[in-house]
Amino acid sequence: MKITGKILTHFQSCSSPVDKEGYLYKKGERNTSYQKRWFMLKANLLFYKDRPNHRDLLGVIVLEGCSVQLCESEEQFAFSLVWSGEPGLRTYKLAAEDQPSQESWIRALLSANHGYLATLVMDLEKQYKEAMKAFPGDPSQQSTLAGPNTERPTQSLIWLNSGTAALSQYLGPSVGAGHNFSTNEMLQVPPISSKPTNKRSPKLWPKRNANVVPINVPSPPQGEWSVTGSGPKVEFSELHEDFGKEVKELIADWLRRGQKDVIQEEDLIDFG
Amino acid sequence: MRFNEKELISLSRQPSERAAELGMRGPKKGDVVKRRLVKLVVNFLFYFRTDEEEPQGALLLEQCRVEREDSLAFSITFLDEAERKYLFECDSQEQCQEWIDSIIKASYEFMRKNLIFYRTEIHRLTGKDPLEQYGIEDETRFQVTSGLQLMPKDI
Repeated sequence: MKITGKILTHFQSCSSPVDKEGYLYKKGERNTSYQKRWFMLKANLLFYKDRPNHRDLLGVIVLEGCSVQLCESEEQFAFSLVWSGEPGLRTYKLAAEDQPSQESWIRALLSANHGYLATLVMDLEKQYKEAMKAFPGDPSQQSTLAGPNTERPTQSLIWLNSGTAALSQYLGPSVGAGHNFSTNEMLQVPPISSKPTNKRSPKLWPKRNANVVPINVPSPPQGEWSVTGSGPKVEFSELHEDFGKEVKELIADWLRRGQKDVIQEEDLIDFG
Repeated sequence: MRFNEKELISLSRQPSERAAELGMRGPKKGDVVKRRLVKLVVNFLFYFRTDEEEPQGALLLEQCRVEREDSLAFSITFLDEAERKYLFECDSQEQCQEWIDSIIKASYEFMRKNLIFYRTEIHRLTGKDPLEQYGIEDETRFQVTSGLQLMPKDI
């Protein structure tokens, strides 16, 4: 499959911010030793090269469809990016220089995927509309920031409405210590969903809601964003809380395990 | 430059935001319009030769310009270079407009800019930073930069 390196390189080096960068050790594919590389996370792409001042990129990892896991390794502060949706997909093994760096990278990689940002934006859009209703102001008071719709005002917020953030739609890679936790497990709370959710096989891909609202139609009344039966709404706040808790618990547990040197079967996350 | 090709190919098989057979012309001189199955998945545009399982190519929809070319066609230009302009021919004006809007919406950069806009506006209206409740207010990617201007055509 063709992919234009120049386009990727340009994206990496252009003026938009790098979301996170730093040294990580990466286990080679053939040469199984860990090599120190400079990593740069931008959007849902993880670029890497030898040193920060080197110009040439060595490679890029597209962070869609993978889970982030703590892993067994001779290296300390190791974690891996795991693709497991179909046979033959690989796992990248990485290691940080210390525990804070490991935790910080895991957090960043967990939330780098497209679906996470899409869900967050939808959540803020909802809050924005509520705020506009609650505080109808003088239009001239509007922020000097150009809104997302400078040229097509009637289409305003419709662009971002691609349906509800249904449970099965949100897809965050999960963090597991040797287990592959799916965020579906974490979100399996409301029984309203008519959709069967997979217990252990993580749904790694967001089910895109193809219900894109046609652009030339006036926006539906508040709160009536169309639901295509793809499951109950997910509040980003719940998502986020669970994420943060999960990461902390896993790392704490991993540290404990390391000291005891015993593998125990336990539920890391209690869903009640 | 190495990339995780298998995993990207796997991504191309996932449910897409939009997929259709369109006429597609590559950027090089002498390229002609060919029918391709074009599929938008997250911020990648995959294109397949009809009836082939593996995509012929993938375009990252960041730092590119999407423009209406005429009533039925749109183009995507990378690096502001004419040699990197891809043309797509649709079957109707509506389809053409829908593709343009979907592609713009799909860009990570576009989402980020919208997020910053909403964040700023919510803060202005309510006095509260909506990202604080999630503890992500300090993330670099969500910082407000001064003089932010969003041109809908430029992603």
